[in-house]
Amino acid sequence: MATQQEHAALGDEKLVRLAQRGDMRAFEELVARHRDKIYARAFSMVRNEDDAVDLSQEAWVKAWQRLKQFQGESSFVTWMTRIVINLCLDHLRKAKRHRAESIEMMDEESGGVERQMPVVQINPTEGLERGEIRQRIDKALGQLSYEHRTVLVLHEFEQLEYKEIAKRMQCSIGTVMSRLFYARRRMANLLASFKRDELS
Amino acid sequence: MKPELELKLQAYVDGELSAREARDVETAIANDAEAQGLLRELQTTTAVLRQNEPQLAVPESREFYWSKIERAIEQTEREPVRPLVAFWFSLRRVLVPAAGLALVLFLAIASFKVNTTSDPLSHLAEVESLSEHVSSFSFRSHSHNMFVVWLHENTEQQASADMEPEFDDEILQ
Repeated sequence: MATQQEHAALGDEKLVRLAQRGDMRAFEELVARHRDKIYARAFSMVRNEDDAVDLSQEAWVKAWQRLKQFQGESSFVTWMTRIVINLCLDHLRKAKRHRAESIEMMDEESGGVERQMPVVQINPTEGLERGEIRQRIDKALGQLSYEHRTVLVLHEFEQLEYKEIAKRMQCSIGTVMSRLFYARRRMANLLASFKRDELS
Repeated sequence: MKPELELKLQAYVDGELSAREARDVETAIANDAEAQGLLRELQTTTAVLRQNEPQLAVPESREFYWSKIERAIEQTEREPVRPLVAFWFSLRRVLVPAAGLALVLFLAIASFKVNTTSDPLSHLAEVESLSEHVSSFSFRSHSHNMFVVWLHENTEQQASADMEPEFDDEILQ
């Protein structure tokens, strides 16, 4: 049985093959290597630390159970990210059933809120350090409804096409497009407002 | 600006248009300052987001985080779903409604046969009591295509006898 140091020296592909043969320590190394990314994806969608930890751990358990199905067509971390996204979408759907729609959503349904937002003429993150930009993006994401945040995460961070997002979110491509448009416009305006706050 | 053009602009930014549609958008915005401003905003926002995804770390130690996963895996492996049991459960989903349907069909056929039997005494089976004061008898003859209902009023003595204890109770009180 290989030691933890020996496992740490192996690439993902080799670790996956070992884990597929039942090597739990190889799987542990994969978890250690990618846990932050999987957790970050869960958090970007559900915006709750405890839920994100639970969902990311559930994703790892599911991955272990389905490891034999992984054929290596995508990278292991991409495959893992898809698993955690699906779990988060299920979680958000269940949560939505127990929650009244937000005012923001009602505004969107009544139409045209994004059209009242002024066009942001400058890059609102210009001159900022990367860490600061990330913090502001994270803060702005937290102010979006979960539908808008999810569509933005899937499109900008996962770089999925409209068709794929529609399939995963169980809605039409038109809905994906209008949600994405609203989410982007709102993000631009939120980042611009953070910039104004900084200057004033 | 028309909402259709706004969404087309976005699809243009995302590379979701055909070459011909993309050319149409370029033509449409060539002399439209507002559309050009919106296009720039969409392009900037997308670029900023893609280059600056927030980075987060699990707020738990490696050992503690892994221990929960390991425990959950061990638990699921201790209670494997046996193939035969799983097969029975999946079969049961089909068998239960099928058995219910078969039972309903059987009862319907049996009831039809009872109603259409040629037994000469079958008409006597239909005796119904409507209330304690009235009884009814029905007679059906298939050969004469006839159905008769006879209502019979119960005797007053019988009705009084049934009610007597209640009167007695009232008197005693």
